Amino acid sequence: MTAADVGRPAGQAPASRRAAGPKLAGLRLARLHAASRHVLTCLVVLAACAVALRIALHWLPRSGVYARQIPLTIEAGAAAVIGVTTGSPFGEPERATGRWLPWLRLAASVVLTGIAVGTLAAGAAAAHLAGGAAGLARDVAGFTGIALLTAAVLGGGLAWIGPMAYLAVTLPALTENWTTPWIWPARPPHDRGAAICAALVFAGGVAVITVRGARDRARE
Amino acid sequence: MTAATAPAAAPRAWRVPWPAGPARLLRIELRRSPMPWMLPLLAVLFWLSAYRMAMNNPPFWNIRSATLQANAMLVFAPLLAGACAWAGSRDGRRGLTDLVGVTAAPRWAAQLATWAAATIWAEALYLAGVAVLYGVTAHQGAWGGPLWWPVAVGVAMIAASCAFGFAAGLLLASRFTAPLAALLVFLALAGGAFAIQDNVRYARIWPLSVQGPFPTNSYGIFYPYLPDLAIAQVMFLAGLTAAALGATGLPAAAGGRWLRAAAAAVTVAGLAAAGTAVGLAGTARVEAHGIVIPALHDAASDRPVPYTPVCSRSAVPVCLQPAYRSYLPAVTAALGPVLGPLAGLPGAPARVTQVAVTSVQSAQSNGIGFGGPVISGRPPVLYLPLSGLSLPGEGNVSVAQFTSGLRQQYGPSIVNELVGLPPDEAVGADVASTDAVPDARHAAQIAVARALDQIMDLTEVGGGSPARSGAGGAAGSGAPLLARQEAAASHRFSALPAAGRHAWLATHLAALRAGRITLSEIP
Repeated sequence: MTAADVGRPAGQAPASRRAAGPKLAGLRLARLHAASRHVLTCLVVLAACAVALRIALHWLPRSGVYARQIPLTIEAGAAAVIGVTTGSPFGEPERATGRWLPWLRLAASVVLTGIAVGTLAAGAAAAHLAGGAAGLARDVAGFTGIALLTAAVLGGGLAWIGPMAYLAVTLPALTENWTTPWIWPARPPHDRGAAICAALVFAGGVAVITVRGARDRARE
Repeated sequence: MTAATAPAAAPRAWRVPWPAGPARLLRIELRRSPMPWMLPLLAVLFWLSAYRMAMNNPPFWNIRSATLQANAMLVFAPLLAGACAWAGSRDGRRGLTDLVGVTAAPRWAAQLATWAAATIWAEALYLAGVAVLYGVTAHQGAWGGPLWWPVAVGVAMIAASCAFGFAAGLLLASRFTAPLAALLVFLALAGGAFAIQDNVRYARIWPLSVQGPFPTNSYGIFYPYLPDLAIAQVMFLAGLTAAALGATGLPAAAGGRWLRAAAAAVTVAGLAAAGTAVGLAGTARVEAHGIVIPALHDAASDRPVPYTPVCSRSAVPVCLQPAYRSYLPAVTAALGPVLGPLAGLPGAPARVTQVAVTSVQSAQSNGIGFGGPVISGRPPVLYLPLSGLSLPGEGNVSVAQFTSGLRQQYGPSIVNELVGLPPDEAVGADVASTDAVPDARHAAQIAVARALDQIMDLTEVGGGSPARSGAGGAAGSGAPLLARQEAAASHRFSALPAAGRHAWLATHLAALRAGRITLSEIP
């Protein structure tokens, strides 16, 4: 409350602020939610990932294991960072009082995934990316789904473990040409089964993180 | 009691004897470390990336140890860096930095205990994996003994990735540090592997390179495993570990002036060691038995490993190094159809002896070419290198594929050498391919060689060479006259009965080899 508000009954906002109404409050809520999750840092890291992808694609061969492995690593890193942003610094109080929290979590995870796909696709725009933009979208979505699921199980701070471990599983799959659609990065971009698996994992991750949020760790 | 009368020393019960201090601190950190929670995941990844891959290959110590260095590290190092970054940033994340900064023990010592605890857990898991893998390999009857240098590189790599992650977490305590540390290590490993593939000279220092371009089954059998590159890699990784850990002792909160000076000295020494190792890797050269770094090379490694060969009881005995004992029937079956029809001819091999690679040639994309089989001595012996070939059980290679591949790859070379065509320069490369159109001097030799290839069903490789396949097509109306004559002679010779062919070769092989036989003289 400022000095100008002295004398005014509690809960009575100025007319201008009342006019802005719930829209402004919603935006402020979204901004505070994003700030508490370090979304700005996440965006900076995503931009750095796009730059790294662009630099890597300049040097990488157009086909072969390395043409897939290094872009996949960057995509997994982007997904890991999105997973890390789900961690809440407030824990139980926020969970108990935040009525809009599930919607904010849903919006944050979906928007950040979209931004990750967009920035990485922009980074790869002027170069040849094995698998193309469709493969990139599939892989980033799948990796992000794993990160969100890991966040729900282990906590936001440890959400990176899921995509990184999955990436480690993917590397032998790339060299051995595994055919299971659950290792979607090893499948061609037009593989329908792989796309369905990645979409299912992403949808599952978003649903779990929307409903439950990242696991709170009492000491963090 | 007033402050003035308070005893100077702490109550006896609170005092811990100094020698017990670090051990107690380490014991506490071993309990607090997040690494035990990572162990199940790391164990699964070890099984998936190293153990399963190793078991998909035949029981050779060199193949099995290579997976422990390259495959295991590719999945271990990034996750360990992330986990150690998580452990390193613990105090910062929990807002305890000021609280723990005023404890009696220097912060650097406590931080090193945290790193040591995480590293001990990781090393314990890795060494347990090594014990299982080597135990199974020994149980499968692998010849020789386990190779420990790749394991040493793995141990050093684990310490280095933990140190890097820990230093990153300590100096930049943020929720993003752990994933970024893991990502950076992943990218560094992948980038290093790409640089190795691109034949960048200094990239050999990267711990994913076991013996440079050598296939994993091509070293450490006939000659001892050359540890030169591994020594440089351990030196590099130890230097990086020291530099990273030294860097954690540089901030003012880490301890007193002397302690920080010591940390700075450790950092500088670590960087110097790592730089020296990179420089040494730049001097590495590819030799027949592995990577040699002159400054680190021990001449004792150049002495061959003694062994008693195992031999078949076939018409032309095949003798292999005992590590290849289980492949003796397959090699005998592969070479039998080639050597059988040639037996008894002057210059034809009376025995086959497996030998080490005698010459290597670096190729693009971290490739390597090995010298092929050679016939020499009196009585003639076929000296046969098997290194670099895909053995049965290696990946999806079956015994039938190996037998066929060996015959197709070496059969034409044996025939070439027998009829006096210039010796091959590389395995599987048919020397006749250097003459796209047969000249008069070699025409008879090529005709006979092609006929023998056809009879022995060696046409897959031999047929790929312009000279041998070209004449078949060259027999058409537009082909040069010499090529048509050569094709006709080859056809005539292959149509002869086996006994007649053998008799003619027994009589005329010396003249054919000397280039004194013309196409018209071939029956």
